[in-house]
Amino acid sequence: MNEINQTVTEADLHAFADGQLPEQARARIEAWLTDNPVDAARVAEWSAQNAEIRSLFADYEKSTDVDIALVTGRRRPANWPKRLAAVAAIIAAFGLGALSGHYGPALFQKPDLQLTELETLPNEARNAFLVYAGEVRHPVEVFANEEAHLATWLGKRLAIQNLRVPNLQELGFKLVGGRLLPVEGRPGAMFMYEDQAGERLTVLVGRKADNRSTSFRFASSGNVETFYWIDGELGYAVTGEIPRDVLRKVAEECYRQFPS
Amino acid sequence: MKAPGHDTFEGQILALLPSLRRYSRSLTRSDADGEDLLQDCVEKVLARRGQWRGLNLRGWVLTIMTNLYRNGRRQTGRAPFVELDGAEDIVSVDPAPDPLERSRLEDALNSLSEENRAVLMLIVIEGYTYQEVATALDIPIGTVMSRLSRARQRMGERMKADNVITLRRPK
Repeated sequence: MNEINQTVTEADLHAFADGQLPEQARARIEAWLTDNPVDAARVAEWSAQNAEIRSLFADYEKSTDVDIALVTGRRRPANWPKRLAAVAAIIAAFGLGALSGHYGPALFQKPDLQLTELETLPNEARNAFLVYAGEVRHPVEVFANEEAHLATWLGKRLAIQNLRVPNLQELGFKLVGGRLLPVEGRPGAMFMYEDQAGERLTVLVGRKADNRSTSFRFASSGNVETFYWIDGELGYAVTGEIPRDVLRKVAEECYRQFPS
Repeated sequence: MKAPGHDTFEGQILALLPSLRRYSRSLTRSDADGEDLLQDCVEKVLARRGQWRGLNLRGWVLTIMTNLYRNGRRQTGRAPFVELDGAEDIVSVDPAPDPLERSRLEDALNSLSEENRAVLMLIVIEGYTYQEVATALDIPIGTVMSRLSRARQRMGERMKADNVITLRRPK
């Protein structure tokens, strides 16, 4: 052991394990390690750990099919001129109606005092449908290609264990994706589906303060129909501009698939 | 969807995405969290493209991601105990021989503070020199060394505390 070797610090040992030393310094530490088995063991442990950490994450260095959408800010191409026009027409009709006073009283009336918590659910579901189903670029936050992530994320936010996104393929509706949104002031989930013709429907899930269950109920407003029910601590609503009997099948299918 | 040209800003970010994905996953506890961090980072980078000085795009982006990771976790107050929820999401090309060992290692990494984990990953995953870490995170090099030291000490304690004897096959 010579004079120089006595100045080996912990920082030198890290730098040696990380391959950050110039050749000369490397040789000096190597010589030190042959005389100091405790330090040699530490360095060997760190080096092995570096390799294990690299191996642990190596497979993540890859392209995925969302990459281009990520950098272009377009998560998914969508073309919804028809739906957008329809929503615009509804808004225009109501807007003009309100101006002319025709719908005025109905629109600006104070909420009915008898409106119970149960009845706010279909309203929120209808509003969410009207706002998001017509959205061209961003109908959802997480698209169907990340379904597992969607379920995990929303399950966490709603504190639902093993939340599963309902599969409506048998009824001809494919998952578009989902988003987080407030339902009665708490984190809620919305899933969106569309059929081959591009007709969309939404499934809303929200937490309810009281623990009770209801049968299916039905609410209708204009062309927008909603089936809703409460199952224990969770409220559900299925909304769409589709025939009532189809929507009912969707509601029954969701009820079957959601955990009770 | 058409890919942006290689010479455009978007094209350069696109080329970096695979390694950015690896780094973001190395900082986070699940595949889903890793993708979330990656997305947040790309959004921020695109929004701030005007602030890039035209040099070392990769380093600039890595710094933004590291800061997002540290700030984001603090702001959302995310609980330090989030279960491993998505390890099966990514199809592994070259699975490690021992999945138990992988999860032990990952558990140990998850026990690190954000600061210490970021320093360790910049060095191990990104191959940063200690000086580069100091510059990227705007901290003194002495702080880099003490965080690295703490990270490794903690890792060592966690791996030993598991009371597991690892069997290794001779290669």
